[in-house]
Amino acid sequence: MVLAIVMENLKVGYIIEDEVFWAVKGVDLVVEEGTTLCIIGESGCGKSTLANAITGILPPYALTDGKLKLFDHVVINGQLRNYNGIRGKITAYIPQNPGTSLNPFLTVEEHFYYVLRSNFKSDREFSKKIAMEILPKVNLDSSVLEKYPHELSGGMQQRVIIALALATNAQILVADEPTSFIDAHLRLQIIELLGRLQREFKKTLIVITHDLLTTSTICDYIAIMYAGKIMEVGPREKVLRNPRHPYTKMLLETTPILGVKKRLKPIPGEPPSLGKGYQACLFLDRCPYKSKECYSDPQIQVIENSHFSKCWKALEAPWL
Amino acid sequence: MVMKNPEYIIKLENVTAGYLITPPGIRSLIKTRYIVLKNINLSVNKSERIAIVGSSGSGKTTLLKVILGLLKPFSGRVFIYEYDIYRLPWRERVKILKKIGYVPQDPFKSLNPMLRVKDILREPLEAHVIRGYKESKIKSKVKSIVKLVGLPEKVLEMYPEELSGGMRQRVLIARALVSEPEVLILDEPTSALDVSVQAQIINLINDIYEQFKPAILLVTHDLSIAQYIADRIIVIENKEIVEEGLIDNVLNNPQSHFMKMAVSSYKDNKNKLKLEF
Amino acid sequence: MIRRSFIILRRSLRKIRFKIGIVISLVAIFLAILAPYIVPHPQEGLGYVPRDVEARRLLPPSIEHIFGTDSLGRDLFSRVIMGTRTALLQVFIVITISFLLGLLLGAIAAYLRGLVEVLLNYFTEIFMAMPTIVIALVLRLTLGHGIHVTISSLIMTWWAWYARIAYVYARGVVELDYVILARLAGLHSLKILHRHIVPNIIQPLIAQAITDLGSVLLEAAAINFLGLGVQPGYPEWGVILYESVFYGGGVEVFTQAPWLIVFPGIFLLLVTLGFSLIGDCLREEIDPRLRRRWRLWF
Repeated sequence: MVLAIVMENLKVGYIIEDEVFWAVKGVDLVVEEGTTLCIIGESGCGKSTLANAITGILPPYALTDGKLKLFDHVVINGQLRNYNGIRGKITAYIPQNPGTSLNPFLTVEEHFYYVLRSNFKSDREFSKKIAMEILPKVNLDSSVLEKYPHELSGGMQQRVIIALALATNAQILVADEPTSFIDAHLRLQIIELLGRLQREFKKTLIVITHDLLTTSTICDYIAIMYAGKIMEVGPREKVLRNPRHPYTKMLLETTPILGVKKRLKPIPGEPPSLGKGYQACLFLDRCPYKSKECYSDPQIQVIENSHFSKCWKALEAPWL
Repeated sequence: MVMKNPEYIIKLENVTAGYLITPPGIRSLIKTRYIVLKNINLSVNKSERIAIVGSSGSGKTTLLKVILGLLKPFSGRVFIYEYDIYRLPWRERVKILKKIGYVPQDPFKSLNPMLRVKDILREPLEAHVIRGYKESKIKSKVKSIVKLVGLPEKVLEMYPEELSGGMRQRVLIARALVSEPEVLILDEPTSALDVSVQAQIINLINDIYEQFKPAILLVTHDLSIAQYIADRIIVIENKEIVEEGLIDNVLNNPQSHFMKMAVSSYKDNKNKLKLEF
Repeated sequence: MIRRSFIILRRSLRKIRFKIGIVISLVAIFLAILAPYIVPHPQEGLGYVPRDVEARRLLPPSIEHIFGTDSLGRDLFSRVIMGTRTALLQVFIVITISFLLGLLLGAIAAYLRGLVEVLLNYFTEIFMAMPTIVIALVLRLTLGHGIHVTISSLIMTWWAWYARIAYVYARGVVELDYVILARLAGLHSLKILHRHIVPNIIQPLIAQAITDLGSVLLEAAAINFLGLGVQPGYPEWGVILYESVFYGGGVEVFTQAPWLIVFPGIFLLLVTLGFSLIGDCLREEIDPRLRRRWRLWF
């Protein structure tokens, strides 16, 4: 079992006005090669920062701590970051908003050319050949090559971006909220496409999302993130059917599902804003199951092989 | 000024609407019509809850603008009660539009950052019926509406930037309710919000319906939200209304391409739910 | 907005450049206000020629005349210090009027759309294309000497700039939902402009105005230097420089009397510098914070 991503107490923060705001407050996570991990969380929980850390696109004013290893490369070690030979070669990024991620002045074919040229020494013919091979895999016709981004629909733009990421032949694909700008009725299509491609090309896929419902269909593992820490992580079936953290359970109960008309139970309060952290369990304010012990940060409880939860009550699980 | 009450509150008769655009690079000064909606026939009755669905860019926003009196259609008529609103001058039209409460889409851009919440909320009351409304009446109305939407009173003194997304959405809903409308129009009320806050807003809308029974017109591309709030659903595709009916009927027996695709994304061929926890 | 202004001020005050700029500006304001009371020869400062012209002409700096005298025997120190008053007056009048004109016209054009919008774009483009010096020349020929020429020609150039900025920002605001809601609530157009549009576009305009202080001063001095503005003898730095070059019947006076250039020049330089430092620092703070990040690593 080869480990594609290893995180040891990874912390990532931003320096804003001489103060440090920690977006990721200490994450221990391990991802096997060839699997799909969905990191699920709401706005401000740090999941995009985590995605950026894996891909290698942290801004210069970011601060890090802990360790991040991609295959054999140590990319983050304490405050030092070294992404030489990682970006575009080992990791590829599928950004959130396809409309703003494609250069409006370039045709799809030119996009392929520039992306491949920066990673390998390729010429126009080679990039066109690669494009023709990959486009059918994302259900796009090769006629799309001559089009400009604004001539394509949102879903097609997103598929072009996925194709570009595949073209780099990177092992680790990081998709940051791939469906948030897509209409609800098309989301499942895109997600299923990603899942299919992941299995066909045997990539390691990381999907960052707040959409628990559709993304959970393709992942092998789910990680629930809240306020900069992973609250629960485990195999998909286990986490969805047997949630061992109150936040997971409440998320499941508050997500509307088409065709199921259960009463939605809202989670009181709001997701915490970026950066604030404290000694107690970060979910304390909103948790209906809190007790005295929750005033100190929970240790990771092992539920089962590869199913972990960061809650003192994970083993008894009063919410089940 | 009580008029004969027709059955409907809002009615669109054969409306075709769109925008005038100047085609690029053409020498002539003639603007062409860009049609976004064709032959729309729609009526909203008292206490009815309707969801208008369609993919992004299908014309839902344009439809709202036509209903709100902001965009004159190329042809067809728009009635609010028995008034053909586009026959009226703006001053008169606005008096009738009071009966509609509009909750815009993006809570982060729909509030004036320079105004406190209390000033935002009292605006609909200030502009009209000036002689009738005394200052104390306005203040008490604002206070009660804030409580109605589940916000603490201290929010009145705050500026929008101090509020979270969910709170801002509540302020927008409160503003729409303050003039006691007969119709509440909501444009994608939850798409900018986190899922944990979404349920709060959905429950709030349903509670308001229980209490005041306004007609509700909900515009969304997310059917799972529509099912919680609406009884009837209207599907807009390719500039026209392609399907209409009670929500359960439409979901079980989709006719239009949009609905078929939406339904297929949550139910597979054996009619079993694909997505479930 | 007020809170944000305080934050911007507080952060700017940490910078040395800003503090220097503030100090210079405060000194300039101080001098401008107190000028007639602290200079030794206020009448000469205003341009009156002393009786004993011949004896006093072009004297180098001495204890009696700290900066020396000019070609008509007037005490240069008095002229230069009182010139501070003129300088600041010109700058503030020009910027205030251009700012207000531009703000109102831009906002109204963006709100009313249609013909008004087209006209505004048309006229701003025309006025932005005309060089200030040419406008000054025309005004000088029609209106004669005087500070009103300088001020008017500068306003005629700068208003278009502010109108453009106001227009662009107002266009963005007019599309927003709170303006739509205000219209639906039946608010008067004037009230909408006053409550929703103007307060939300004013910040970039103020930033621009503060940045322009230095430039306007230099341009005013330039117009006066070319003799297109105030009459010679007036307490204004630009015109003092004009006299030093063009007076004396063809012989440049300044070769014989360099103090005539040095002192007004230094004052002009310093005050412009002060304004520019303030404008620079404020603009850095107002711009998105990301631009400044690079500073930390160098």
